[in-house]
Amino acid sequence: MRAASINIDDSVLVQQSQAGDTPSMERLILKYQHRIYNVILKMCGNTDDAAELTQETFVKVIESIEKFKGRSSFYTWLFRIAVNLTLNHCQRSARTATCSLDAEGTDPDGETSQLLRDVLSDDRVADPAVLAQSHELCALAKQALLELEEPQRAVVILRDIEGMDYAQIADVLNIELGTVRSRLSRARSHLREVLENMLK
Amino acid sequence: MKPNPNLDELLSSFMDDQLSPRQRTEVQRLAAHDPQVARRLRQLQNCRTLFNSLPAAKAPSDLLEQIKASLERHTLLQEQPTAGGRSFGAWQLAFRRFVSAAAVIALVGVLGMVVYQIVSPIPPGGVGSRVAQGPSSPAQLGPMTATPILVADAGFTGRLELRTAKLVQVDTFLGRTIENSGLSSRVESTVSGNQRVYRIAGTRASVNRLVASLSGLWQNFDSAALQVDRSEGSAAPVLVEAITPEQTASIVAQGSTKASLDTAANYAIMNHMAKNMPGNEIRPLIQTDSGSLFAAANLPQPRETGPDNTGNPKSEIRNPKSKEAQDKALVNLTIVLLNSR
Repeated sequence: MRAASINIDDSVLVQQSQAGDTPSMERLILKYQHRIYNVILKMCGNTDDAAELTQETFVKVIESIEKFKGRSSFYTWLFRIAVNLTLNHCQRSARTATCSLDAEGTDPDGETSQLLRDVLSDDRVADPAVLAQSHELCALAKQALLELEEPQRAVVILRDIEGMDYAQIADVLNIELGTVRSRLSRARSHLREVLENMLK
Repeated sequence: MKPNPNLDELLSSFMDDQLSPRQRTEVQRLAAHDPQVARRLRQLQNCRTLFNSLPAAKAPSDLLEQIKASLERHTLLQEQPTAGGRSFGAWQLAFRRFVSAAAVIALVGVLGMVVYQIVSPIPPGGVGSRVAQGPSSPAQLGPMTATPILVADAGFTGRLELRTAKLVQVDTFLGRTIENSGLSSRVESTVSGNQRVYRIAGTRASVNRLVASLSGLWQNFDSAALQVDRSEGSAAPVLVEAITPEQTASIVAQGSTKASLDTAANYAIMNHMAKNMPGNEIRPLIQTDSGSLFAAANLPQPRETGPDNTGNPKSEIRNPKSKEAQDKALVNLTIVLLNSR
């Protein structure tokens, strides 16, 4: 689980940041910038928007750090800001469906089709290392993510890409644990259908 | 296998280790005994593996700098539209408007004073009480009791007040000059303590020569002021403060009372401006013969009068056509010497 070791020094850095220590805030930014950007990019599908939303997220964090009371972890508070900004952006913008990721094409070539069949196969277990090496398959997977509705997309990204547990997802999205469970299940089922449709 | 939402949710939670031990055992038992459940579980696991293996994107390398720049913009934007900022700006604007209005009012006031000093009646203290230069006060002058002997029809009637610390020397020089000008018979003089009064009634040319001859004496005067009376008895005279000998000669040399009054009024304004200008920038120009405000204002330049080598008078009367008549016009000039000590 990627999120297992992320809270080690956060509370100290947050306290120092609240006291006006700029280097501590910079350390928090440097620590989380790539993960925030990755989640936002997977959600919005556009690199420019992702960079802008990441920047906006941290600006908002800096401006609001004094109001952070520590009722939740800094990690979930940070991602809540990022996801809310991104969801609002996706709702406002129609670019999500026509983003740069789908420009890479949805018709897989022979090798990619075979890899995708392996993923969808029910008689073998996919090798993550092999999957990660296929840029085209990754592009298809990202495209499939964008086919989901935003609430489902957010929950599957936070779980399967960022690696949050259900409680953290519930905290970030401000929803019940049961909702996380059911929404995640539907998102995964939907993703499989999208990928199957790509092979047809 | 047709997707079963309840089964998928159970399998999804099983993959994420979100089930209780009892539920987990139940799922394992189902998958072991039902191949369809096992295949569905494998499908979902492979799908999750695909998304889990997606390469993580990295944020732009200059993100931190971008954040700092964005924060600076935010700070600037927040400084401008805040309520306090607006009210302070409005206050500043109001203050600027107030200062501008005050400056305009002050300017109008100064101009009004200039106009008033030009057209206002002479105060009881006499001309000298308005002379800016010199340490004297109106009380030292006493009331102006001297009146012109003769009122010219088309000439000039005025009173020249000169303050000097060398009253005796100046008085001696003036008396001699009057005598040399051939005006002795036309002069009444009175002496009273610190004051010498010469009432001169002569032709314009002779009075003009007298005034011109006083130019070398001017440096001994602490102040000099000329009051030009109007022909209408009730109208206020024109007062020219800090007058120079050239200005006096120029006023005297005018062909009519109106022309003398107009010239005197121009000099009054000019001298007043010079007195009130910071550093008296104008004054040197006034006191210079060439390239001065005389030329700029197109005012008449005084010229020294007196016979030239050919025996003809050198003095220039402004209208050559009526030169003879103007020379003969009677001029009344009262010269008052005051002790400035």
